[in-house]
Amino acid sequence: MSTAFGFSSSAWAASCCGGGSASSLVLPKFSQAMVDVSLDFESYDGFWKGDGSWSPDPAGSDLNQYRLNLGYAYRLAPRWQASVSLPYVWNKNEYASFSRNTDGLGDTKLSIWYEQFDKVACVWKVKKWQDLIPAIYWGGTLTLPTGTSQYDGVDDNFDITGLGMYRLDANVLFDKTVYPWNATFSANYGKYLERPVNREYGTYVEPYDKQRGDRFNSSLSFGYTHFTEEMQSITGTLAYAYLQEDEARIDGVVDTTSGMQKRSASATLAWASEDRNWVAKLTWSHALDRDGWGENFPTTDVVTVGVSHVLR
Amino acid sequence: MSYVRTPVRSWCKYFSLTLLLSMLSACGDLTEDLSPSSDDKRATVTAGTTGYMPGQLAADFFISSSAADTFQLSDHLATGAEPADVVVLYFTMWCPICLAHSDHIYNVVMPQFAGRGTIVYGLVDYVSGSVSAARASEQANGYAGSDFVTLVDNQHALMDQFNGAMGTVVVIDSDGTILMNEDYRNGATLIDILGQQLP
Repeated sequence: MSTAFGFSSSAWAASCCGGGSASSLVLPKFSQAMVDVSLDFESYDGFWKGDGSWSPDPAGSDLNQYRLNLGYAYRLAPRWQASVSLPYVWNKNEYASFSRNTDGLGDTKLSIWYEQFDKVACVWKVKKWQDLIPAIYWGGTLTLPTGTSQYDGVDDNFDITGLGMYRLDANVLFDKTVYPWNATFSANYGKYLERPVNREYGTYVEPYDKQRGDRFNSSLSFGYTHFTEEMQSITGTLAYAYLQEDEARIDGVVDTTSGMQKRSASATLAWASEDRNWVAKLTWSHALDRDGWGENFPTTDVVTVGVSHVLR
Repeated sequence: MSYVRTPVRSWCKYFSLTLLLSMLSACGDLTEDLSPSSDDKRATVTAGTTGYMPGQLAADFFISSSAADTFQLSDHLATGAEPADVVVLYFTMWCPICLAHSDHIYNVVMPQFAGRGTIVYGLVDYVSGSVSAARASEQANGYAGSDFVTLVDNQHALMDQFNGAMGTVVVIDSDGTILMNEDYRNGATLIDILGQQLP
């Protein structure tokens, strides 16, 4: 299951007019801070092999991972913001002959974002071409290997809650709202740092260097917002996401058994209070258990419930 | 931008800090991954002792195969009934990484060493739980009728004996000496060892 730990919570954020994002922990414009708490329920349902063909998990297995994600974003300057997100992970795996329940801290993410706009980019009507300019965010994320990886003193793979690698990501996010419609595109490109390895699953081995392959992730979403008479909002969003990781290198030699791809679709229902200070979200992310929708990666369903509070 | 301290803001900060500290304190062994080491910390092994480390002797074992036969290690050592030059054991839980590795063995390693001595390739299935389930997993993943022997480790005897985990590959020579016990990675170490060991 270790390859599953590339997750990013889909319930981050405020996702309101003025920016904010449904896919990243990004503050809305003019707000000072945000706290976000979400819970992921990820259920494994087979996997894609390296040739893209889908295969079921062994009969009698029930594989799940739950994650509690705590996020905090803070405005540093009118155009700059920073955030931290920290997951706590529970692995619950049952096979025909045994079951294992383990838990531990996941990998921590530190992000910084630059907003390439000065005022709210959401409009009710397009009156001039400038009204079509989206809110653009540029960001960088550092993933810290605070989770438990296969390179720690673990018994086996069921204890793993992190990848054990530092990663630097460059992020971009385009968000445009012309009420009641919204479209978002996000992409990030991540590079893992090479690290020495001298232990695998608790057993010391001859040291070597490992570097996972570069990771590319993109997402495109469209949403519709309904306002109640009290100006609370209910937003429905459909998204398509693509994730790819290149082949790893071991002592500089390509590992042809690594690398992966995953395509998934998700649906989100979000409620925001009339002042947009509270947002509650429910997301279902689904990966198709069919040939050709991924490679060398588990097929999962993720249900995420989350709430975020914006501090103005 | 105004900054107004409110009870809600204070509560949120307090809650966040408490939750963060709780998470950190719950993680007693806060991982060595933040500062990974390249030091060689392998224990010194005494030749002739029995264990799971390279250089040690593998204890004999017998276990059911997916064909409901009994597979006994000593049968495949130099003095056994079906001697082999090398026994290769790969620990699988029929996952993407496992299949990538076992496919690599099947498509790259086996052809490369075909005709160079006798090699027994075993897939150690430690998750299926029964002979019939292991056979079903073997078939579902395209290994039915292959040169792999699927070994049904439903009591985790081999996992315990070799300290195995997902992706572990163990190589045992005809004297019963363990030549390799580590993650498969990209297969390079296995290929090196087979290249040295086989005629």
